Amino acid sequence: MNNNHIVGVFDDEDTLMEAVNEVKKNGFEIGEIYTPYPVHEAIEAMGKKSRFTLAAFIYGFLGAAGVLAFMYYTAVIDWPVNYGGKPTNAFPSFIVVTIVITILTVTLASLFTFSVRAQIYPGKAYILPDARSTDDKFVMIFDKALSGSKTGELEGILKEKGAVEVYEKELKPQK
Amino acid sequence: MDTKITLSKGFQYTAIAMITAGAAVIIYSFIADPARAWANLLLNNYMFLSLAIGASFFIAIQHISQSGWSSMFKRVPEAMMAYIPYAGIIMLLLYFGMHSVYHWTHAEAIASDTLIQHKSPYLNIPFFFIRMVLFFIAWMVMTRLIRNASLAEDTQGGMLWFEKSETYSKIHIFLLAVTFSFASFDWIMSLDVHWFSTIFSLKNFVAAFFHGSATVVLVVILLHEKGHFKALNKSHMLDFSRYIFMLCIVWGYFAFSQFMLIWYGNIPEETEYFAHRWHSGFKVIFYVNFFINWFLPFVFLLPQVLNKNIRVVKTIAILLIAGQYLDLYEQIFPAVLHHPVFGITEIGFFIGFAGLFMFITAKALAAAPLIPRNHPYLEESLHHHVH
Repeated sequence: MNNNHIVGVFDDEDTLMEAVNEVKKNGFEIGEIYTPYPVHEAIEAMGKKSRFTLAAFIYGFLGAAGVLAFMYYTAVIDWPVNYGGKPTNAFPSFIVVTIVITILTVTLASLFTFSVRAQIYPGKAYILPDARSTDDKFVMIFDKALSGSKTGELEGILKEKGAVEVYEKELKPQK
Repeated sequence: MDTKITLSKGFQYTAIAMITAGAAVIIYSFIADPARAWANLLLNNYMFLSLAIGASFFIAIQHISQSGWSSMFKRVPEAMMAYIPYAGIIMLLLYFGMHSVYHWTHAEAIASDTLIQHKSPYLNIPFFFIRMVLFFIAWMVMTRLIRNASLAEDTQGGMLWFEKSETYSKIHIFLLAVTFSFASFDWIMSLDVHWFSTIFSLKNFVAAFFHGSATVVLVVILLHEKGHFKALNKSHMLDFSRYIFMLCIVWGYFAFSQFMLIWYGNIPEETEYFAHRWHSGFKVIFYVNFFINWFLPFVFLLPQVLNKNIRVVKTIAILLIAGQYLDLYEQIFPAVLHHPVFGITEIGFFIGFAGLFMFITAKALAAAPLIPRNHPYLEESLHHHVH
């Protein structure tokens, strides 16, 4: 299988975004963008949407409701104990536990959701076109098979828009 | 670019009419029921002072964090700070009403009460007013320095005044932390002289920051509706509502912490405060307070479809001003009057003070260009964009 990609390396966010907009205008499909930190504009430009916040909200809501229901069941229904004359349904004292366990639920559930959705797990083979994108460079890759005969034009646009390097590379999963 | 605003005749007449109508009610109520009038005076003056203090803290935080997004709006909190000297004068008038509101000023109470005797080295009338004067001097000096630095930046430009603003702001927040804590202990907590809570000042300080920020947002939106702040966009609204959202959680955290620990500890000296606030009609206010100040902003400013919407944020900001009134009502009125009252006196006082606050803020807004000229981050603010 031919897995050759065009790799464009950029120095900063602004030149990267200019190039992204330009190649999109010329009808090229961006394969992937690697950045040292999250660049929300790049995610938007690639037409990707995240429903992650909605998922987190649902986890939080279910977590809070679940914890309250659990405490109500244990403290009021199953094993009512009189603590210092307080009502068994000591609602104000449930709140603190609810907050803490809600945070825990959201954190863990979000972590697992992200891991499943992005198919990332410990020991997975990864594809990294240019290791410098983990340091200070912004890297954009294109599938060479998709650009076909217009490869030269694509490389021209990337260089014109300020890419410090443009090269071809065959991508292989690394361990 | 000249962005000076002029006050319309209609606005000035409205404000003056509000002040006059308020003054008439205030004078009448001092003759009819002095204790209630003093409680109202304390509530309203403290409330609008807290909005001004909250605004000054808001702008100090913007200076210290070198925020770009908010630099276009910095004249609004600056203008709100102009109320502080007037609040100082009105607060000093409390000298004539000490006996009506503060139980610890009564000679017979001191004579028969060991706890008040124990507190009297701190809680006595001369020291109370010495502290009050010191607090107001500190706030007036610091807010004046911040305001003047901002005005000097308009004419001179450069980075000098930007850096000075940051230095002044750093001093201001430290001063504010100490002075406003003691101020809320003195003016509000000492109403219930037998009761004390160490988180009380923190809760009141956060309430001031919370409602002060909400008022800043409200003023910005009102000016936007009048055709100013044309560059106000969805990103600004998102940041403003994040501010209110964050502060509603912090407020809820402190208010609930104070209540929960006292409720759980169940020590008579402490629960007395809330027991008193759960009697008769006050209990409704206790729940409505949490509903307006925590639940509504939390639910309505959570989804991004709502928190970028100017009308939603405006409604929440107006409700939060009512929320601050309610919060203070719950703290002050049970201690002074022992049963809930609300009538023409309360409305008249509020209208009078609201008119005064509006008038002073608007005058200060008109005194300088609405959008600062030479702030280094002004361009960033005008084209602010977040995802």
